[in-house]
Amino acid sequence: MNSFKEKFIQNFIEEDRWMYLVNGLKTTLIITVLAVLIGIALGFVIAVIRTTHDKTGKLKFLNLIAKVYLAVVRGTPVVVQLLIIWFVVFAYPTASLLVAAVITFGLNSAAYVAEIFRSGIMSIDNGQFEAGRSLGFNYIQTMIYIVFPQAFKNVLPALSNEVVVLLKETSVAGYIGVQDLTRGGDIIRSRTYEAFLPLLAVAIIYFTIVTVLTWLISKLERRLRNSDH
Amino acid sequence: MTTNKETLIQVTDLQKSFKNLDVLKGITTDINKGDVVVVIGPSGSGKSTFLRTLNLLEVPTSGTIMFEGVNITDKHVDINIHRQKMGMVFQQFNLFPHMTILKNMTIAPIKLLKKSKEEAEAKAMELLKRVGLEDRAEAYPSQLSGGQKQRIAIVRALCMEPDVMLFDEPTSALDPEMVGEVLQVMRDLAKDGMTMVIVTHEMGFAREVANRVMFIDEGVIMEEASPEDFFNNPKSDRLKDFLSKVL
Repeated sequence: MNSFKEKFIQNFIEEDRWMYLVNGLKTTLIITVLAVLIGIALGFVIAVIRTTHDKTGKLKFLNLIAKVYLAVVRGTPVVVQLLIIWFVVFAYPTASLLVAAVITFGLNSAAYVAEIFRSGIMSIDNGQFEAGRSLGFNYIQTMIYIVFPQAFKNVLPALSNEVVVLLKETSVAGYIGVQDLTRGGDIIRSRTYEAFLPLLAVAIIYFTIVTVLTWLISKLERRLRNSDH
Repeated sequence: MTTNKETLIQVTDLQKSFKNLDVLKGITTDINKGDVVVVIGPSGSGKSTFLRTLNLLEVPTSGTIMFEGVNITDKHVDINIHRQKMGMVFQQFNLFPHMTILKNMTIAPIKLLKKSKEEAEAKAMELLKRVGLEDRAEAYPSQLSGGQKQRIAIVRALCMEPDVMLFDEPTSALDPEMVGEVLQVMRDLAKDGMTMVIVTHEMGFAREVANRVMFIDEGVIMEEASPEDFFNNPKSDRLKDFLSKVL
Protein backbone atom coordinates (compact mmCIF):
# COMPACT_ATOMS: atom_id res chain seq x y z
CA MET A 1 0.00 0.00 0.00
CA ASN A 2 2.84 2.28 0.84
CA SER A 3 4.46 1.68 -2.49
CA PHE A 4 1.17 2.56 -4.25
CA LYS A 5 1.01 5.80 -2.31
CA GLU A 6 4.62 6.54 -3.19
CA LYS A 7 4.02 5.80 -6.83
CA PHE A 8 0.88 7.92 -6.87
CA ILE A 9 2.77 10.85 -5.39
CA GLN A 10 5.66 10.32 -7.73
CA ASN A 11 3.47 10.15 -10.86
CA PHE A 12 0.90 12.82 -10.16
CA ILE A 13 1.93 15.09 -7.31
CA GLU A 14 5.67 15.61 -7.70
CA GLU A 15 6.55 18.51 -9.97
CA ASP A 16 2.81 19.02 -10.50
CA ARG A 17 2.79 16.17 -13.02
CA TRP A 18 -1.03 15.98 -12.85
CA MET A 19 -1.01 19.20 -14.83
CA TYR A 20 0.08 17.17 -17.87
CA LEU A 21 -3.26 15.38 -17.66
CA VAL A 22 -5.27 18.56 -17.05
CA ASN A 23 -3.65 20.44 -19.93
CA GLY A 24 -3.83 17.35 -22.12
CA LEU A 25 -7.52 16.98 -21.38
CA LYS A 26 -8.06 20.63 -22.24
CA THR A 27 -6.34 20.11 -25.59
CA THR A 28 -8.30 16.93 -26.28
CA LEU A 29 -11.59 18.67 -25.57
CA ILE A 30 -10.69 21.71 -27.68
CA ILE A 31 -9.75 19.50 -30.64
CA THR A 32 -12.89 17.42 -30.26
CA VAL A 33 -15.31 20.34 -29.96
CA LEU A 34 -13.84 22.31 -32.87
CA ALA A 35 -13.54 19.20 -35.05
CA VAL A 36 -17.16 18.31 -34.32
CA LEU A 37 -18.26 21.78 -35.40
CA ILE A 38 -16.26 21.57 -38.62
CA GLY A 39 -17.46 18.02 -39.20
CA ILE A 40 -21.12 18.90 -38.77
CA ALA A 41 -20.95 22.03 -40.93
CA LEU A 42 -18.97 20.46 -43.76
CA GLY A 43 -20.72 17.10 -43.42
CA PHE A 44 -24.10 18.81 -43.76
CA VAL A 45 -23.01 20.62 -46.91
CA ILE A 46 -21.70 17.39 -48.44
CA ALA A 47 -24.90 15.53 -47.52
CA VAL A 48 -27.04 18.25 -49.12
CA ILE A 49 -24.96 18.12 -52.30
CA ARG A 50 -25.20 14.34 -52.47
CA THR A 51 -28.94 14.13 -51.80
CA THR A 52 -29.76 17.01 -54.11
CA HIS A 53 -27.89 15.18 -56.83
CA ASP A 54 -29.66 11.91 -56.06
CA LYS A 55 -33.09 13.54 -56.00
CA THR A 56 -32.83 16.01 -58.87
CA GLY A 57 -29.82 14.99 -60.96
CA LYS A 58 -28.33 18.48 -60.50
CA LEU A 59 -24.90 19.39 -59.03
CA LYS A 60 -23.14 16.64 -60.97
CA PHE A 61 -19.67 18.13 -60.60
CA LEU A 62 -19.97 18.94 -56.89
CA ASN A 63 -21.35 15.47 -56.29
CA LEU A 64 -18.34 13.96 -57.98
CA ILE A 65 -15.98 15.97 -55.80
CA ALA A 66 -17.94 14.96 -52.71
CA LYS A 67 -17.82 11.30 -53.66
CA VAL A 68 -14.06 11.38 -54.20
CA TYR A 69 -13.63 13.19 -50.89
CA LEU A 70 -15.67 10.60 -49.02
CA ALA A 71 -13.82 7.72 -50.66
CA VAL A 72 -10.39 9.14 -49.84
CA VAL A 73 -11.15 10.11 -46.25
CA ARG A 74 -12.95 6.91 -45.41
CA GLY A 75 -10.43 4.79 -47.26
CA THR A 76 -7.31 5.95 -45.41
CA PRO A 77 -6.33 5.84 -41.71
CA VAL A 78 -6.78 9.02 -39.74
CA VAL A 79 -3.16 8.84 -38.52
CA VAL A 80 -1.95 8.97 -42.12
CA GLN A 81 -4.24 11.91 -42.78
CA LEU A 82 -2.87 13.65 -39.70
CA LEU A 83 0.72 13.12 -40.81
CA ILE A 84 -0.06 14.36 -44.32
CA ILE A 85 -1.80 17.49 -43.05
CA TRP A 86 1.07 18.31 -40.69
CA PHE A 87 4.13 17.35 -42.71
CA VAL A 88 2.87 17.95 -46.26
CA VAL A 89 0.11 20.56 -46.13
CA PHE A 90 1.33 22.53 -43.09
CA ALA A 91 4.95 21.98 -44.03
CA TYR A 92 6.37 25.00 -42.21
CA PRO A 93 7.68 25.11 -38.64
CA THR A 94 5.66 28.09 -37.42
CA ALA A 95 2.30 26.41 -37.99
CA SER A 96 0.20 25.46 -35.01
CA LEU A 97 0.03 21.80 -34.14
CA LEU A 98 -3.38 22.33 -32.60
CA VAL A 99 -4.75 23.87 -35.78
CA ALA A 100 -3.43 20.98 -37.84
CA ALA A 101 -5.10 18.49 -35.50
CA VAL A 102 -8.43 20.37 -35.49
CA ILE A 103 -8.45 20.54 -39.29
CA THR A 104 -7.51 16.89 -39.72
CA PHE A 105 -10.14 15.56 -37.32
CA GLY A 106 -12.71 18.06 -38.64
CA LEU A 107 -12.19 17.03 -42.25
CA ASN A 108 -12.13 13.38 -41.26
CA SER A 109 -15.30 13.56 -39.21
CA ALA A 110 -17.08 15.49 -41.97
CA ALA A 111 -16.94 12.43 -44.21
CA TYR A 112 -18.65 10.25 -41.63
CA VAL A 113 -21.13 12.94 -40.60
CA ALA A 114 -22.01 13.49 -44.28
CA GLU A 115 -23.03 9.86 -44.64
CA ILE A 116 -25.02 10.04 -41.40
CA PHE A 117 -26.92 13.12 -42.60
CA ARG A 118 -27.40 11.61 -46.04
CA SER A 119 -28.93 8.44 -44.71
CA GLY A 120 -31.16 10.57 -42.49
CA ILE A 121 -32.38 12.68 -45.40
CA MET A 122 -32.91 9.65 -47.62
CA SER A 123 -34.85 7.91 -44.85
CA ILE A 124 -37.62 10.51 -45.05
CA ASP A 125 -40.46 9.20 -47.17
CA ASN A 126 -40.67 10.80 -50.59
CA GLY A 127 -44.33 11.53 -49.91
CA GLN A 128 -43.22 14.19 -47.41
CA PHE A 129 -41.20 15.84 -50.13
CA GLU A 130 -44.07 15.63 -52.61
CA ALA A 131 -46.54 17.01 -50.09
CA GLY A 132 -44.27 20.00 -49.56
CA ARG A 133 -43.82 20.60 -53.26
CA SER A 134 -47.54 20.21 -53.97
CA LEU A 135 -48.29 23.01 -51.49
CA GLY A 136 -46.05 25.27 -53.55
CA PHE A 137 -42.80 25.13 -51.57
CA ASN A 138 -39.72 25.11 -53.76
CA TYR A 139 -36.99 22.50 -53.35
CA ILE A 140 -35.01 24.43 -50.73
CA GLN A 141 -38.06 25.43 -48.68
CA THR A 142 -39.32 21.85 -48.72
CA MET A 143 -35.96 20.67 -47.43
CA ILE A 144 -35.73 23.32 -44.71
CA TYR A 145 -39.28 23.17 -43.38
CA ILE A 146 -40.17 19.54 -43.92
CA VAL A 147 -37.30 17.17 -44.64
CA PHE A 148 -34.37 18.44 -42.53
CA PRO A 149 -36.22 18.71 -39.20
CA GLN A 150 -37.39 15.10 -39.49
CA ALA A 151 -34.04 13.88 -40.79
CA PHE A 152 -32.13 15.63 -38.01
CA LYS A 153 -34.24 13.98 -35.36
CA ASN A 154 -33.60 10.58 -36.95
CA VAL A 155 -29.83 10.98 -37.09
CA LEU A 156 -29.28 12.51 -33.66
CA PRO A 157 -28.27 9.19 -32.03
CA ALA A 158 -25.82 8.34 -34.82
CA LEU A 159 -24.47 11.87 -34.74
CA SER A 160 -23.89 11.74 -31.00
CA ASN A 161 -22.14 8.43 -31.41
CA GLU A 162 -19.82 10.03 -33.94
CA VAL A 163 -18.85 12.60 -31.29
CA VAL A 164 -17.87 9.80 -28.91
CA VAL A 165 -15.84 8.08 -31.62
CA LEU A 166 -14.14 11.32 -32.54
CA LEU A 167 -13.21 12.07 -28.94
CA LYS A 168 -11.40 8.75 -28.71
CA GLU A 169 -9.83 9.11 -32.15
CA THR A 170 -8.13 12.37 -31.20
CA SER A 171 -5.83 10.26 -28.99
CA VAL A 172 -3.59 9.76 -32.03
CA ALA A 173 -2.87 13.51 -32.20
CA GLY A 174 0.34 12.81 -30.28
CA TYR A 175 1.76 11.35 -33.50
CA ILE A 176 2.59 14.86 -34.68
CA GLY A 177 3.47 16.05 -31.18
CA VAL A 178 0.18 17.55 -30.00
CA GLN A 179 0.14 17.34 -26.21
CA ASP A 180 -3.33 15.90 -25.77
CA LEU A 181 -4.56 13.74 -22.92
CA THR A 182 -2.93 10.55 -24.19
CA ARG A 183 0.36 12.30 -24.79
CA GLY A 184 0.12 13.89 -21.33
CA GLY A 185 0.00 10.46 -19.71
CA ASP A 186 2.81 9.30 -21.93
CA ILE A 187 4.99 12.23 -20.90
CA ILE A 188 4.54 11.31 -17.25
CA ARG A 189 5.50 7.74 -18.08
CA SER A 190 8.68 8.89 -19.79
CA ARG A 191 9.60 10.99 -16.71
CA THR A 192 8.84 8.45 -14.00
CA TYR A 193 9.50 5.21 -15.89
CA GLU A 194 6.18 4.06 -14.50
CA ALA A 195 3.61 3.04 -17.15
CA PHE A 196 0.70 1.65 -15.21
CA LEU A 197 -0.59 4.58 -13.17
CA PRO A 198 -0.39 7.39 -15.72
CA LEU A 199 -1.92 5.31 -18.51
CA LEU A 200 -4.61 4.00 -16.17
CA ALA A 201 -5.42 7.58 -15.26
CA VAL A 202 -5.68 8.49 -18.93
CA ALA A 203 -7.97 5.55 -19.61
CA ILE A 204 -10.18 6.42 -16.65
CA ILE A 205 -10.55 10.01 -17.84
CA TYR A 206 -11.55 8.94 -21.38
CA PHE A 207 -13.88 6.33 -19.97
CA THR A 208 -15.55 8.82 -17.66
CA ILE A 209 -16.15 11.36 -20.42
CA VAL A 210 -17.44 8.71 -22.82
CA THR A 211 -19.74 7.27 -20.17
CA VAL A 212 -21.17 10.67 -19.31
CA LEU A 213 -21.64 11.48 -23.00
CA THR A 214 -23.30 8.14 -23.67
CA TRP A 215 -25.62 8.67 -20.73
CA LEU A 216 -26.54 12.12 -22.00
CA ILE A 217 -27.18 10.69 -25.46
CA SER A 218 -29.46 7.93 -24.22
CA LYS A 219 -31.35 10.50 -22.16
CA LEU A 220 -31.72 12.69 -25.24
CA GLU A 221 -32.85 9.72 -27.30
CA ARG A 222 -35.48 8.84 -24.76
CA ARG A 223 -36.76 12.39 -24.74
CA LEU A 224 -36.92 12.41 -28.53
CA ARG A 225 -38.79 9.14 -28.55
CA ASN A 226 -41.31 10.49 -26.06
CA SER A 227 -41.99 13.49 -28.28
CA ASP A 228 -42.06 11.25 -31.32
CA HIS A 229 -45.24 12.17 -33.01
CA MET B 1 -74.44 19.98 -63.78
CA THR B 2 -72.79 23.34 -64.29
CA THR B 3 -73.27 25.62 -67.23
CA ASN B 4 -70.11 27.54 -66.52
CA LYS B 5 -67.70 26.32 -69.19
CA GLU B 6 -64.64 28.36 -68.34
CA THR B 7 -61.65 26.11 -68.97
CA LEU B 8 -59.35 25.76 -65.98
CA ILE B 9 -56.91 23.12 -67.17
CA GLN B 10 -56.32 22.34 -70.80
CA VAL B 11 -54.34 19.16 -71.44
CA THR B 12 -53.04 18.58 -74.95
CA ASP B 13 -51.44 15.37 -76.19
CA LEU B 14 -49.86 14.60 -72.84
CA GLN B 15 -47.25 11.85 -72.94
CA LYS B 16 -45.09 10.41 -70.21
CA SER B 17 -42.49 7.69 -70.44
CA PHE B 18 -40.40 6.12 -67.71
CA LYS B 19 -37.31 4.80 -69.46
CA ASN B 20 -38.79 2.43 -72.05
CA LEU B 21 -42.24 2.28 -70.53
CA ASP B 22 -44.86 4.56 -72.12
CA VAL B 23 -47.30 5.31 -69.34
CA LEU B 24 -49.28 8.12 -70.94
CA LYS B 25 -49.67 7.91 -74.68
CA GLY B 26 -51.33 11.16 -75.62
CA ILE B 27 -54.04 12.49 -73.33
CA THR B 28 -56.11 15.47 -74.41
CA THR B 29 -58.88 16.88 -72.28
CA ASP B 30 -60.24 20.09 -70.78
CA ILE B 31 -61.12 20.47 -67.16
CA ASN B 32 -63.60 23.21 -66.64
CA LYS B 33 -64.27 25.35 -63.63
CA GLY B 34 -66.65 23.52 -61.31
CA ASP B 35 -66.04 20.14 -62.90
CA VAL B 36 -65.85 17.09 -60.70
CA VAL B 37 -63.93 14.65 -62.85
CA VAL B 38 -63.52 11.13 -61.56
CA VAL B 39 -60.78 9.12 -63.23
CA ILE B 40 -61.02 5.36 -63.03
CA GLY B 41 -59.07 2.57 -64.62
CA PRO B 42 -57.20 -0.63 -63.85
CA SER B 43 -53.96 -0.43 -61.89
CA GLY B 44 -51.04 0.44 -64.09
CA SER B 45 -53.31 2.23 -66.54
CA GLY B 46 -51.61 5.57 -65.98
CA LYS B 47 -54.44 7.27 -64.13
CA SER B 48 -52.32 8.28 -61.14
CA THR B 49 -49.51 9.39 -63.42
CA PHE B 50 -52.01 11.53 -65.33
CA LEU B 51 -53.12 13.21 -62.10
CA ARG B 52 -49.55 13.76 -60.95
CA THR B 53 -48.55 15.38 -64.22
CA LEU B 54 -51.30 17.99 -63.75
CA ASN B 55 -49.25 19.74 -61.05
CA LEU B 56 -45.98 18.53 -62.53
CA LEU B 57 -45.06 16.15 -59.72
CA GLU B 58 -44.34 14.04 -62.77
CA VAL B 59 -42.82 16.04 -65.57
CA PRO B 60 -44.47 15.05 -68.85
CA THR B 61 -42.27 13.79 -71.65
CA SER B 62 -44.23 15.82 -74.18
CA GLY B 63 -47.51 17.66 -74.55
CA THR B 64 -48.76 20.78 -72.81
CA ILE B 65 -50.80 21.64 -69.78
CA MET B 66 -52.40 25.07 -69.70
CA PHE B 67 -53.50 26.06 -66.21
CA GLU B 68 -55.46 29.30 -65.92
CA GLY B 69 -54.09 30.38 -69.27
CA VAL B 70 -50.44 29.64 -68.47
CA ASN B 71 -48.48 26.84 -70.06
CA ILE B 72 -47.06 25.26 -66.90
CA THR B 73 -45.10 22.68 -68.89
CA ASP B 74 -42.95 25.55 -70.17
CA LYS B 75 -39.54 25.26 -68.50
CA HIS B 76 -39.40 29.00 -67.80
CA VAL B 77 -42.60 29.01 -65.79
CA ASP B 78 -42.22 29.05 -62.00
CA ILE B 79 -44.27 25.97 -61.19
CA ASN B 80 -44.24 26.72 -57.46
CA ILE B 81 -46.53 29.72 -57.95
CA HIS B 82 -49.05 27.62 -59.86
CA ARG B 83 -48.90 24.68 -57.48
CA GLN B 84 -50.18 27.02 -54.77
CA LYS B 85 -53.42 27.10 -56.72
CA MET B 86 -53.60 23.32 -57.17
CA GLY B 87 -54.28 21.46 -53.95
CA MET B 88 -53.26 17.83 -53.82
CA VAL B 89 -54.36 14.98 -51.59
CA PHE B 90 -52.36 11.77 -51.49
CA GLN B 91 -53.23 8.17 -50.81
CA GLN B 92 -50.78 8.11 -47.90
CA PHE B 93 -51.98 11.47 -46.48
CA ASN B 94 -48.43 12.78 -46.13
CA LEU B 95 -49.10 14.98 -43.15
CA PHE B 96 -45.95 16.41 -41.62
CA PRO B 97 -45.38 14.25 -38.52
CA HIS B 98 -43.17 16.79 -36.75
CA MET B 99 -45.82 19.50 -36.74
CA THR B 100 -49.15 19.88 -34.98
CA ILE B 101 -52.28 19.78 -37.11
CA LEU B 102 -52.55 23.55 -36.91
CA LYS B 103 -48.92 23.98 -38.00
CA ASN B 104 -49.45 21.49 -40.83
CA MET B 105 -52.25 23.69 -42.08
CA THR B 106 -50.72 27.12 -41.55
CA ILE B 107 -47.09 26.70 -42.58
CA ALA B 108 -47.73 27.07 -46.31
CA PRO B 109 -50.11 30.06 -46.06
CA ILE B 110 -47.71 31.80 -43.67
CA LYS B 111 -44.53 31.13 -45.64
CA LEU B 112 -45.91 31.30 -49.18
CA LEU B 113 -48.95 33.57 -49.07
CA LYS B 114 -47.31 35.77 -46.41
CA LYS B 115 -50.38 35.58 -44.24
CA SER B 116 -50.07 36.60 -40.60
CA LYS B 117 -50.08 33.77 -38.07
CA GLU B 118 -53.43 34.95 -36.69
CA GLU B 119 -55.03 35.13 -40.11
CA ALA B 120 -53.74 31.71 -41.17
CA GLU B 121 -54.81 30.11 -37.89
CA ALA B 122 -58.27 31.65 -38.05
CA LYS B 123 -58.74 30.23 -41.53
CA ALA B 124 -57.38 26.84 -40.43
CA MET B 125 -59.69 26.71 -37.41
CA GLU B 126 -62.66 27.56 -39.59
CA LEU B 127 -61.79 24.68 -41.94
CA LEU B 128 -61.16 22.31 -39.02
CA LYS B 129 -64.59 23.17 -37.69
CA ARG B 130 -66.09 22.36 -41.06
CA VAL B 131 -64.66 18.83 -40.96
CA GLY B 132 -65.41 18.40 -37.26
CA LEU B 133 -61.80 18.25 -36.07
CA GLU B 134 -61.36 21.62 -34.38
CA ASP B 135 -60.54 19.86 -31.10
CA ARG B 136 -57.51 18.20 -32.72
CA ALA B 137 -55.73 21.43 -33.71
CA GLU B 138 -52.90 20.89 -31.24
CA ALA B 139 -52.60 17.13 -31.83
CA TYR B 140 -49.86 15.52 -33.87
CA PRO B 141 -50.66 13.43 -36.96
CA SER B 142 -49.67 10.17 -35.23
CA GLN B 143 -52.48 10.73 -32.73
CA LEU B 144 -55.12 10.70 -35.47
CA SER B 145 -56.97 7.90 -37.23
CA GLY B 146 -56.52 7.39 -40.96
CA GLY B 147 -59.81 9.01 -41.78
CA GLN B 148 -58.97 12.00 -39.61
CA LYS B 149 -55.55 12.29 -41.22
CA GLN B 150 -57.04 12.36 -44.68
CA ARG B 151 -59.62 14.97 -43.69
CA ILE B 152 -56.77 17.07 -42.33
CA ALA B 153 -54.82 16.55 -45.55
CA ILE B 154 -57.79 17.88 -47.49
CA VAL B 155 -58.24 20.98 -45.37
CA ARG B 156 -54.48 21.57 -45.32
CA ALA B 157 -54.64 21.85 -49.09
CA LEU B 158 -57.72 24.08 -48.82
CA CYS B 159 -55.82 26.51 -46.60
CA MET B 160 -53.98 27.63 -49.73
CA GLU B 161 -57.33 28.53 -51.30
CA PRO B 162 -56.68 26.48 -54.42
CA ASP B 163 -58.66 26.75 -57.65
CA VAL B 164 -58.58 23.01 -58.23
CA MET B 165 -58.12 19.98 -55.98
CA LEU B 166 -56.37 16.83 -57.16
CA PHE B 167 -57.10 13.60 -55.28
CA ASP B 168 -54.85 10.60 -55.80
CA GLU B 169 -56.80 7.59 -54.49
CA PRO B 170 -57.70 9.42 -51.27
CA THR B 171 -59.55 6.51 -49.67
CA SER B 172 -57.42 3.57 -50.82
CA ALA B 173 -55.26 3.45 -47.70
CA LEU B 174 -58.19 3.74 -45.29
CA ASP B 175 -59.96 1.15 -43.21
CA PRO B 176 -63.40 0.61 -44.75
CA GLU B 177 -65.27 2.27 -41.91
CA MET B 178 -63.31 5.48 -42.42
CA VAL B 179 -63.94 5.85 -46.12
CA GLY B 180 -67.32 7.47 -45.58
CA GLU B 181 -66.11 10.40 -43.52
CA VAL B 182 -63.51 11.33 -46.15
CA LEU B 183 -65.98 11.00 -49.02
CA GLN B 184 -68.39 13.21 -47.12
CA VAL B 185 -65.81 16.00 -46.95
CA MET B 186 -65.20 15.61 -50.68
CA ARG B 187 -68.92 15.61 -51.37
CA ASP B 188 -69.32 18.88 -49.46
CA LEU B 189 -66.41 20.32 -51.33
CA ALA B 190 -68.00 19.44 -54.66
CA LYS B 191 -71.26 20.99 -53.51
CA ASP B 192 -69.42 24.22 -52.79
CA GLY B 193 -68.37 24.30 -56.43
CA MET B 194 -64.73 23.28 -56.06
CA THR B 195 -63.14 21.98 -59.25
CA MET B 196 -61.91 18.48 -58.53
CA VAL B 197 -60.04 15.75 -60.32
CA ILE B 198 -60.27 12.48 -58.43
CA VAL B 199 -58.55 9.19 -59.07
CA THR B 200 -60.52 6.62 -57.12
CA HIS B 201 -62.02 3.17 -57.03
CA GLU B 202 -65.18 4.40 -55.29
CA MET B 203 -67.71 3.78 -58.05
CA GLY B 204 -70.67 4.82 -55.93
CA PHE B 205 -69.01 8.12 -55.21
CA ALA B 206 -68.26 8.61 -58.90
CA ARG B 207 -71.84 7.96 -59.83
CA GLU B 208 -73.18 10.31 -57.20
CA VAL B 209 -70.79 13.27 -57.20
CA ALA B 210 -68.97 13.41 -60.53
CA ASN B 211 -70.26 15.30 -63.52
CA ARG B 212 -67.75 13.53 -65.75
CA VAL B 213 -66.26 10.07 -65.43
CA MET B 214 -63.13 9.21 -67.33
CA PHE B 215 -61.84 5.71 -68.05
CA ILE B 216 -58.10 5.60 -68.57
CA ASP B 217 -56.51 2.43 -69.84
CA GLU B 218 -53.17 1.74 -71.49
CA GLY B 219 -52.22 5.40 -71.25
CA VAL B 220 -55.16 6.91 -73.10
CA ILE B 221 -58.65 8.10 -72.25
CA MET B 222 -60.63 5.13 -73.54
CA GLU B 223 -63.98 6.55 -72.73
CA GLU B 224 -65.52 9.57 -71.06
CA ALA B 225 -69.13 10.27 -70.24
CA SER B 226 -71.59 11.57 -67.70
CA PRO B 227 -71.92 9.15 -64.78
CA GLU B 228 -75.30 7.85 -66.00
CA ASP B 229 -74.03 7.00 -69.47
CA PHE B 230 -70.71 5.82 -68.17
CA PHE B 231 -72.12 3.22 -65.83
CA ASN B 232 -75.33 2.34 -67.66
CA ASN B 233 -74.24 2.43 -71.30
CA PRO B 234 -70.51 1.77 -71.48
CA LYS B 235 -69.41 1.72 -75.11
CA SER B 236 -65.97 0.14 -75.33
CA ASP B 237 -65.47 -3.51 -74.56
CA ARG B 238 -62.59 -2.68 -72.24
CA LEU B 239 -64.83 -0.53 -70.06
CA LYS B 240 -67.64 -3.09 -70.11
CA ASP B 241 -65.16 -5.69 -69.04
CA PHE B 242 -63.70 -3.44 -66.32
CA LEU B 243 -67.10 -2.47 -64.93
CA SER B 244 -68.24 -6.07 -64.85
CA LYS B 245 -65.31 -6.81 -62.60
CA VAL B 246 -65.58 -3.88 -60.19
CA LEU B 247 -69.34 -3.34 -59.88
